[in-house]
Amino acid sequence: MAVVWDMSQWTQAWRTDSLQPTVRSSGTRTTTSGTAMYGRTAGGANQSVTNGTSNGGANSGGGVSGGAQGHDKLKIGFCTDLDKSVLVNNFEKRGWHQVNGDDDWHFYWAGVQTCRNIFSVDSGYRMHDNQMINHFPNHYELSRKDLLVKNIKRYRKDLERDGNPLAEKTESNNSSGTRYLYLDFVPTTFVLPADYNMFVEEYRKFPLSTWIMKPCGKSQGAGIFLINKLSKLKKWSREAKGPFHPQIAKESYVISRYIDNPLLIGGKKFDLRLYVLVASFRPLKAYLFKQGFCRFCTVKYDTSVTELDNMYVHLTNVSVQKHGGEYNTLHGGKWSVQNLALYLEGTRGKEVTDRLFGAISWLIVHSLRAVAPVMASDRHCFECYGYDIIIDNALKPWLVEVNASPSLTSTTVNDRILKYKLIDNILSVVLPPDGVPDVRWNKVPSADALGNFELLIDEELAAQDEQHQNSSSNTHSKTSKMGSRWK
Amino acid sequence: MEELQDASIHHMTAKVIAAIKNTKSYEPIYKELQKLVCNPTVDTHDMRNTLEDAIKSAGLETEIRNIVFNLVRTRLSKTDDKNLANKQGAKPTVSDPLGYLKRAGVLWDRRVRKSLNAMCTELKVPLHGQPRISADREDFMAKWNELSNYNMDLANYRPVYAPKDLLEVLLSLKGPAKTTENTDQIPQWEFSHIALPVKNLFELRAHYADLLRSDSYLGVPDLTIQCQRILEGRHAPMCQQFLKKGCTPAPYRGALWASVLDSKLHDYDIEYWQKLRNAVWTTDHIVDKLVFKDIQLTASNDDQYFVFEDVLYQVLLCFSRDTDIGGCVEYEAFPVKGKTYEGPPSGVVPFHGICMFAAPFCYLYDSPVNLYYTFRAFYIRYCHRLTTINTHPQGIVSLCLLFEKLLQTYEPQLWSHFRELQIQPLRVVFKWLMRAFSGHLPPDQLLVLWDLILGFDSLEILPLFAIIILSFRKESIMQVASLDSIEAILADLSSIKVLPLVQLALSRD
Repeated sequence: MAVVWDMSQWTQAWRTDSLQPTVRSSGTRTTTSGTAMYGRTAGGANQSVTNGTSNGGANSGGGVSGGAQGHDKLKIGFCTDLDKSVLVNNFEKRGWHQVNGDDDWHFYWAGVQTCRNIFSVDSGYRMHDNQMINHFPNHYELSRKDLLVKNIKRYRKDLERDGNPLAEKTESNNSSGTRYLYLDFVPTTFVLPADYNMFVEEYRKFPLSTWIMKPCGKSQGAGIFLINKLSKLKKWSREAKGPFHPQIAKESYVISRYIDNPLLIGGKKFDLRLYVLVASFRPLKAYLFKQGFCRFCTVKYDTSVTELDNMYVHLTNVSVQKHGGEYNTLHGGKWSVQNLALYLEGTRGKEVTDRLFGAISWLIVHSLRAVAPVMASDRHCFECYGYDIIIDNALKPWLVEVNASPSLTSTTVNDRILKYKLIDNILSVVLPPDGVPDVRWNKVPSADALGNFELLIDEELAAQDEQHQNSSSNTHSKTSKMGSRWK
Repeated sequence: MEELQDASIHHMTAKVIAAIKNTKSYEPIYKELQKLVCNPTVDTHDMRNTLEDAIKSAGLETEIRNIVFNLVRTRLSKTDDKNLANKQGAKPTVSDPLGYLKRAGVLWDRRVRKSLNAMCTELKVPLHGQPRISADREDFMAKWNELSNYNMDLANYRPVYAPKDLLEVLLSLKGPAKTTENTDQIPQWEFSHIALPVKNLFELRAHYADLLRSDSYLGVPDLTIQCQRILEGRHAPMCQQFLKKGCTPAPYRGALWASVLDSKLHDYDIEYWQKLRNAVWTTDHIVDKLVFKDIQLTASNDDQYFVFEDVLYQVLLCFSRDTDIGGCVEYEAFPVKGKTYEGPPSGVVPFHGICMFAAPFCYLYDSPVNLYYTFRAFYIRYCHRLTTINTHPQGIVSLCLLFEKLLQTYEPQLWSHFRELQIQPLRVVFKWLMRAFSGHLPPDQLLVLWDLILGFDSLEILPLFAIIILSFRKESIMQVASLDSIEAILADLSSIKVLPLVQLALSRD
């Protein structure tokens, strides 16, 4: 069977990271496993074979067994703010019963507002050890467009101040400025109105580029528009200050350099939607769902000025595309990441394809590390993020935004299967092996429990492995154990 | 004896030389050769040896070898068959036991063309097409790269035929022996009476023996390096041999296929492609509508291929104008009385799903022109045999027969299950066979299956693989009792892995 994803590419990238010393040894890890990243053979026989050998190692550290006996007969109550069948079916499959938010629940699939209420001091609600909830209280540090940019900028500055090689800069190829060599994964972005002057300065450097304006707090493509003249922005700003649009005046916007050289496939623009599960921010434990998809515009990509206002050309959000005349309900404009990898390998070669997917993992990990220090890493929480990524025609991925409540609405049959599987795999990763929510669990899921998720990073395991290696010269057994974790 | 062999080699050589002179590559090679003669290393005193060396070092020898390899595979064997047929008798009708089959082939082709003609009459459009009015031509040219945005009314157009139409004709095929026998004795729904020779599993194992060999070529274990070296060597037979492994690295598949199918681009190919494109731009032909209709009905709705919609329009429109195709594909020749009908310029009447033969190539080639020539070669060599009734050992009739015999012999339980339910097993798998699994298997697996078609130069893998899938899902099939339920069980092939299943089936005792 074909190994689609060779980890050596991104482990190489990891080697530049002095904060992540364990990865150096991952070179010894075999890369011939069936559980290759974005492998088209998700699940399947091969995976369970490799799992068989690694289970012991991954499970042995768990402190679960003692706790599990205590709640053997515990009936698990779930609560959900979203009445989605992919959720309810998954909960019921596990024999859970539905309860109200006021009752004693063990698992809450909440809306962000509910979550904030539960964690607010005023509510006086205190969660017990057998409760879990699907958001971190201040997820907006990652999911709000302005805060994400702010956090990433701070993260880079901090690393730079510490003299970390990750923060190395290089001459930018198209301007007098410099850019980060390894951490340049979000398009240049400013918050308006606060950074207006900085934006104007940047705008003057590249007067020909197009900028995209997005309201910070909205999602699904609402309120987004493109700008290629400063005068247009000024006009907008005057109007916003006027008496007719008081709501715009209050709202802050981000303005980002528009990726005007996107990779086109079949002449059409697309973006990637990837699902990332964070089980903990400190230590960081994150997993990437292998079955992401590309979302295609229904209309041909065209940069001409006349098309600047045709949002169907530019925005790939399904909620935007659904209103286009040519939306296809059979595939919904969604194309699997596996197919993208197959296409890119076939037409561009393996090396560049591997490099692209390596860069995507890199981007996700560092966006998470950027927010980790400010996140309230409550042990009751986990969160599944929808990462929106655009790939440019040099096959460089750009992080566009992160959604803390990715849509669980199914647009097609395959979409439904995918989302059902996503929820199922999320549950099996965040819950201890006995299936009962328990914050005392060490959050080291077995390879079997990962399903279609693969480990992006587990700082705790990485630190342990480093310790093992330092304390013992007999590294043979250690490396093989660690190898399984990185698969 | 030796003399005879000698004579046959001379005969063959003469034929090959004659054939080479008729190929498009003859002229460029001849020019290249003329240049080599002027090369300082070529010595007039020892012309033969020095010129040969020069030919070798310039890489021209490999090219000539590849041309010979391809001629022998395609055109020469065809003319041989024809000569043989001519020698056997001027009136094949009387003696040929397969006469009825050939006749059915001619009639099928005629029926398809007649439908096209009838459609033309009904819609009042000329069969030969008409010049596009200038506004339309400009619109068409402007939208050439985004033909999904080209608007036309297709409400009155239907695919000329679909797999099930061909299946019905196949199932109604009657041999001449039928009339004399007691028809009650022979089940009406079987197919196996057709007297075409097909392989049994033992022979298939022998044919696919290389699939089970684990040795590596060139003594290098790494597939990528093997592949690179083979491609550097440019020998078509080596490329073909490599595909037999069924684990072709995706980045090299396009080059390997082009090498095996002799579809690497030459300057004259690019010119010809432009000529075809111009023909599409200037004339409006009924097949254009059928092509658009077909893509909209199939590839545009397919979650594996919809992104390539616009590439497929270009490729299939040019395909419809390509008169070279008619000269390459084999049609059954049999004297049948009645009116003959003209077809489109390519001779191929588009049917429901024809674009699915081209769609998988979108994962191999970025440019439509590259895609076009490899697809065209693949169509001529393989796909065409799947949509016409013919006596070729790899024609759809033989493949159906092979399927039935394998099922009967190796899955008797399934066979009798189908029989009890009065379901022709062929009904369940015919769409797979006729489309060579395109649109049914996910692309990564489909390409592996097509690797094997090319590597072993045979479509027999299709019925074999159909059996393998039935066998794999046997338990579920045995539990249901209707055609719909069986089809539901077989609808989703996304979890099927080609190579391990085929290897398992071939290695099992």
